[in-house]
Amino acid sequence: MSSSKPVSSEDILGQKYDRCLADFLVKTGVGFSVGVVASVILFKRRTFPIALSTGFGAGAAYSDCDRSFNPARIPGTRIIPAASSASPVVPAEPEHKHQL
Amino acid sequence: MRYANSSASKQVASAIRRNDFGVFRRVARRHLATESTAAPKKKPRIVRRIFFATATLTGSFYVGSAFLAFNNPDYYDFFSEHVPLGQTMLEYGEANHWDTMTLHSAIDYTVRTATSLKDFVTEKVNGAPTTVKEVKTMAEKTAHDAKAATIRTIAASKERVKDVAAHVKTDVQKGEDKVTGKAAAIAKHQSEELIEGLSDLVKKAEEALALKPGSSSNPPGAPTENESTPEFKTTDVYEAPLPVGFEPPPGFSRPPTPKKEPPPPKYVDLPLVAPAVSDLASSEPIISHLAGTIDNLASFLKSNPEAASRVTDVLDLAKADLSSLAQRIEGAKEEERKGLETMLDEQTREYTLKLLEVEMEAQDRLDNQEEEFRKLFDLRQSQLVQTYRQKLEEELKTQTDLINERLKNEVIAQGIELQRRWIREIKMRVEEERGGRLAKIDELSTQLKRIERVALDNSAYLDENIRIHALWSAIRALSSSALSSHVRKPFREELRVVRHISAAREDPVVSAALETLETSEIPDIGVEPFADLASWYTTSVAPKVSTVALVPDQDAGLLSHLASHLLSSFRFKRHGLVEGNDVLSVLSRAEYYLNEKDLDSATRELNQLSGTAKVMLNDWLEAARKRLEVEQALEVVHAQATLASLLIV
Repeated sequence: MSSSKPVSSEDILGQKYDRCLADFLVKTGVGFSVGVVASVILFKRRTFPIALSTGFGAGAAYSDCDRSFNPARIPGTRIIPAASSASPVVPAEPEHKHQL
Repeated sequence: MRYANSSASKQVASAIRRNDFGVFRRVARRHLATESTAAPKKKPRIVRRIFFATATLTGSFYVGSAFLAFNNPDYYDFFSEHVPLGQTMLEYGEANHWDTMTLHSAIDYTVRTATSLKDFVTEKVNGAPTTVKEVKTMAEKTAHDAKAATIRTIAASKERVKDVAAHVKTDVQKGEDKVTGKAAAIAKHQSEELIEGLSDLVKKAEEALALKPGSSSNPPGAPTENESTPEFKTTDVYEAPLPVGFEPPPGFSRPPTPKKEPPPPKYVDLPLVAPAVSDLASSEPIISHLAGTIDNLASFLKSNPEAASRVTDVLDLAKADLSSLAQRIEGAKEEERKGLETMLDEQTREYTLKLLEVEMEAQDRLDNQEEEFRKLFDLRQSQLVQTYRQKLEEELKTQTDLINERLKNEVIAQGIELQRRWIREIKMRVEEERGGRLAKIDELSTQLKRIERVALDNSAYLDENIRIHALWSAIRALSSSALSSHVRKPFREELRVVRHISAAREDPVVSAALETLETSEIPDIGVEPFADLASWYTTSVAPKVSTVALVPDQDAGLLSHLASHLLSSFRFKRHGLVEGNDVLSVLSRAEYYLNEKDLDSATRELNQLSGTAKVMLNDWLEAARKRLEVEQALEVVHAQATLASLLIV
């Protein structure tokens, strides 16, 4: 996340993309390798543990990436737009953050 | 001359006085001698004699001194002061009028006493002839007294006579200084003769008295003296010592003398009917004979007093002789008188002639003297005039000196005064000139002040100008370095210069504008050039922002982003000033504004974006805002500088 040289604001999105891709690759590869090992060891050379664990990896990477794009998307919470001011829980703070 | 005369007369008078004293002394001696001749006979009466002598001496001394004192004031003083009882004696004399007593009165008095004595004696003799001796002695005594009185009077008369003679002598001497010879001799001779005659007469009288006391010889004796005195009394006028400087005028005193000298025989002769004629004729040779007869008679009388009756014959004879003698004498006297008268007339004529001559001479002398005196007077006058002139000249000199001195002093004083006045005047002039110059200087100073003010104003203008110029320069430098440079570079130095320059002017607006600029970090970083900003926007910012143009403002996850990215590549690109609030139209308008070089408007357009696009534009907006800030501050400074320059001009 931290870099020596500050990235200009218009390059932030590309950086996120890069990091998401790298995270996806790492997490899917870790899941794949974990599935291979588990299939070899546990599942006597069966294929499903490999696909499952790759899927877990890919899924984790996705969620992380999504969260990086939208930090306000926290599990269990929902951000209500300012126009519909009915939502009582955490109304404006993430919005502000985002705007700024 | 006069002094000489007077001194001569004084000498003469003193000589006469000495002579008088001598005579008096002589008389006294004679008197003593006569007494001493009588003394040896009566030895037991030595004490009485001595007493009498002393008494008479003292009495005569006192009386004579009194008389002398009344005549001589010097002696009066001496007698009253130095002789004991002198004062009382003088008082007594004054009380008895001795001082006023004349010789005549004295003689009268003595005669009276003598006659009374004679009467007394005759009475005694007649009454008691037995005591003839006593009477005789008495008579002798009285005779002695009378004799003494007569002697005294005679001496006085002699004195008078001598005085007269001296007077005559002196008068004659005075009158005819050189020609005195004969007249003086004659007068002298006459007076001496007279004196001798008188002395003889006295002798005879003495003898007669000695012979016949109380006889008729006494009375005639008195009258003789009586007669002899008055004639001299007239000369008493000249008896008193003449005061100094006074002398009887020669013409006055002389005439009486020849007249007075002849009278004695006249007066003497006239009453001489009695045997007194014989006394006067003592000079005659017959007198000796007569004296002899009288001596005889005396001796005869002495030898035998009883033969008094017989004496009558002798007396008759003597009488006859005397009468004849008298007649003879009278005749002789007459002759002599005539001769004398003629001689006197001659002498008078002679003397008048001589007197005339002498007068003439005296006149001449007087004239000479007068001339001499005049000459002397003239000489003295001239001398005096000279001396006075000298004195006057000296006085004048001293006066002129004094005046010169005073003038000099005055001149000096005036000079000092004038100098003082000049100095004052000069001071006044100097003051005036100084005042004028000071006025000029004041004018000049006011002008100078004006000029100074002008200059100051000018300098202020100039300074202001310079400052403004500097400010302008600094602003230009700042703007050139900060805004119009092609690369981004710091401009703090320039900003500092601008700030310093503007701080001098104390412009609150400029200082406020620069303050905000200075406190920020913009000067250190610098400002992006407009070209860079524009290129940055068109090359990188605008395409990237356009890829997220479809991303929703809220809950934009990975899928929405990916979808926007995919879909935006399919959208049409908009150009120019287009309407619409979507991101693409905003971007196109901003691009347009940037192309128009309107960064402000472009920034305003882009600032309206929101969401992810805004986040994407953040850096660029920041840079653009900084640049706009600097631009705005510089514009303010610029405007102020313009205002200042406009205010100055």
